[in-house]
Amino acid sequence: MATTLPRKGSLFRRQHIFAGTTVTPVMIYMMLFTLLPMLWGVLITFFRYSPTRAGGPFLGLGGGNPFVGIENYLDLFSNSPNGVLFRLSLKNTLIFSLVYVPLNLVVTLPLAVFIESVTQRAKSFFRTIYFLPTVTSAVAVSLVWGVIYNPTFGLLNLGLRALGLTGYAWLTDPQTTVLGIPLPMICVLITYLWSDMGYNLVIFMAGLQGIPDVYREAALVDGANAWQRFWYITLPLLRSTLTFVMVMTMLSAWQVFVLFFVLTNRGGPSNLTRVLVLHIYETAFRYQEMGLAATVAMVLFLIIMITTLLQLRLLRKDWEY
Amino acid sequence: MSESSKLSRRTFLRMAGLTAAGALAAACAPTTTPTEATGGQAPSGEKVTLRLWSHQNPSFVGANEQLIAKYKDQNPNVEIKYENFPYADFITNIQTSMAAKTEADVMEMFGSWVQSYAKGGTLAVVDESVTTLAKAQELFYAAPLDGYVWEGKLYGLPNEYNLEVGGVLANKRMFDEAGLTYPPTWASWDELVADAKKMTKVENNVMTVAGFDYVTGDGLGFLFWEGILEKGAEYFADDGVHLNLLTPQAKETVQWMYDMANKDKVVDPLTFNGDVNWVGTSFFQGLVAIGYIGPWIVPEGRRNYPDFKDPWDHVESPHFGSERKFAADSGWGKVVSPNTKNIKEAWKFSAFMTMDPANHRQWNVATGTVPALKSVAEDPTLLNDINWLGPSLKVLPYGRYVGMLQDRDYIWYTVVATHITECLQNQRSVDETMQLMHDEANALIDSKIKA
Repeated sequence: MATTLPRKGSLFRRQHIFAGTTVTPVMIYMMLFTLLPMLWGVLITFFRYSPTRAGGPFLGLGGGNPFVGIENYLDLFSNSPNGVLFRLSLKNTLIFSLVYVPLNLVVTLPLAVFIESVTQRAKSFFRTIYFLPTVTSAVAVSLVWGVIYNPTFGLLNLGLRALGLTGYAWLTDPQTTVLGIPLPMICVLITYLWSDMGYNLVIFMAGLQGIPDVYREAALVDGANAWQRFWYITLPLLRSTLTFVMVMTMLSAWQVFVLFFVLTNRGGPSNLTRVLVLHIYETAFRYQEMGLAATVAMVLFLIIMITTLLQLRLLRKDWEY
Repeated sequence: MSESSKLSRRTFLRMAGLTAAGALAAACAPTTTPTEATGGQAPSGEKVTLRLWSHQNPSFVGANEQLIAKYKDQNPNVEIKYENFPYADFITNIQTSMAAKTEADVMEMFGSWVQSYAKGGTLAVVDESVTTLAKAQELFYAAPLDGYVWEGKLYGLPNEYNLEVGGVLANKRMFDEAGLTYPPTWASWDELVADAKKMTKVENNVMTVAGFDYVTGDGLGFLFWEGILEKGAEYFADDGVHLNLLTPQAKETVQWMYDMANKDKVVDPLTFNGDVNWVGTSFFQGLVAIGYIGPWIVPEGRRNYPDFKDPWDHVESPHFGSERKFAADSGWGKVVSPNTKNIKEAWKFSAFMTMDPANHRQWNVATGTVPALKSVAEDPTLLNDINWLGPSLKVLPYGRYVGMLQDRDYIWYTVVATHITECLQNQRSVDETMQLMHDEANALIDSKIKA
């Protein structure tokens, strides 16, 4: 049966038309809602911009929202109120993310290995149990854990008192520290770990399932014990999963907002849990200084980008299985 | 009020994008020329449409809807489109739409924000055909009205007098159990503290009942300003712009707060403060005997804690000096956009909601708020409708607007409330606290003036 093929030029043209009609709307959407806002975000970092002030005729810039050059950036390193709070927020964010990432990995990876070793039915049960908090609203998580941490009638202190111990003001004690980390920050770390660990757990389980059994079986034949099989076989072969998990967890840790907003009531006590994303929110919407807030957002963007590139570089591998 | 949701990686980026997009779209939107106060009146009988924006407090929405219906009955040519938003979205909407000059014709705004917006040129001056500043000063109390005044011009009209001073919550059961007179009649703060000590309970080193809880984000600021004023000093510096928080009276006030927490031990500032066991909830959980909070908490408490069985009231509180003097926030009221095409109608509608005594009262009764209009507050029949306002109504003439703090929230919460709480928690001495508050507040003011 003879088939009539379209002429090459016609097919080519139709492919172009198809590509054009499907991609163009997406591109326009991206331009309008991603690229232009990003450019606007960069632009206002050079203005003392606040929507409460009537600006000039061009995009509301100028006039009450004057051009200040790089002054907003310099302000972050000055002793101005914004500068002081920015540096405090940066310090808290660093503490949180640098503690959280290894903490998460130390808990979720062994747990994933353990769950992978049990029966299929038990595996499904554990996976569901651990994943449930991940799909729970962060506000609900904050409110529930807020009750647990309540110093007067919270479960934690009631338990401690039942054991004859004195409780703590878990979320409001600014003076108690653990390894130099304020107690309220420790509480947020624990709460966030509880609510977020299911995500990495599932990723690790998928990674573990992707490792061919042949490697572990070969090691077993060679007399390797469980720890040696994990350390010399499983862990190296999980490197790409580990890279993904580390990058995503670090990104996530830099951007935690709700727990610091609800659980510790906007970064309390004494700003000990004020983090960068909260600082951006407060500067923009509470103190109504969009230019300064955009500047902090830009610095956060740069920090996240550099951190991610570093992680990708350090964990790069040049083999596959 | 509070708002939150977990910011996922994508949501964070989307939010940042949308915020900027909103501002961009706003900036790109066609601009309308602000209508002069002398013009902009629709010809008589012509259909006029006004938009009103408010936040989403159910009682406020109900009160506004009732008055809108009434206004439309009386003005059939006027259509009012009423939109209300969750609190956080409301502020964002106002800000982004002002940049685009697409905000509503009439907006409900908290009086303590008005000067910042007026200073930025984003609000219309009250039309003189509606009222003048001098006339408004005769009609309204100074504290709520002065929040709407900037550089001698009136930029809005208040619906309410926002008040935290003059009354405290008191738990009758605890007074009875301690053998104290109820309702209390304290002649001084010392007498209140003496009663509070008798009702404070500590079990296993944990405070289970705070005798007097005043450690809140709002309360500490109000007590601080009141202490300074009633002791005969002033918290504004001589230039009227910066603050002077180093006066002996300011220090005495903070020392008094410190002593109540650390010597009299009527409150544990670690376990009762703005972040945990906040007085507005802990009182209704039976954890506080006397709570420092305004009368607005009464309808909230009745609505949110119907199962709380202890009898309680909002009773009169003492003051520091021989004469009561206090600083108050302004209160919610109505402002008008300078970009409205119907500025006279917008002001007429705003005046209808705020200056007409019957409507003003109707709004206060529906929302459970304190009247800003003198004639309404002085009407003894008001207590038939809002029976808990007795202690508050007595103090209204003695209040003044807290003044232009440049950034009210920053000074009030980030500087004053935060650092006094830290002092009460023994993180810093009273002297160090005074110096720190003074320096930080004035640094903020300098940065705002520079901007």
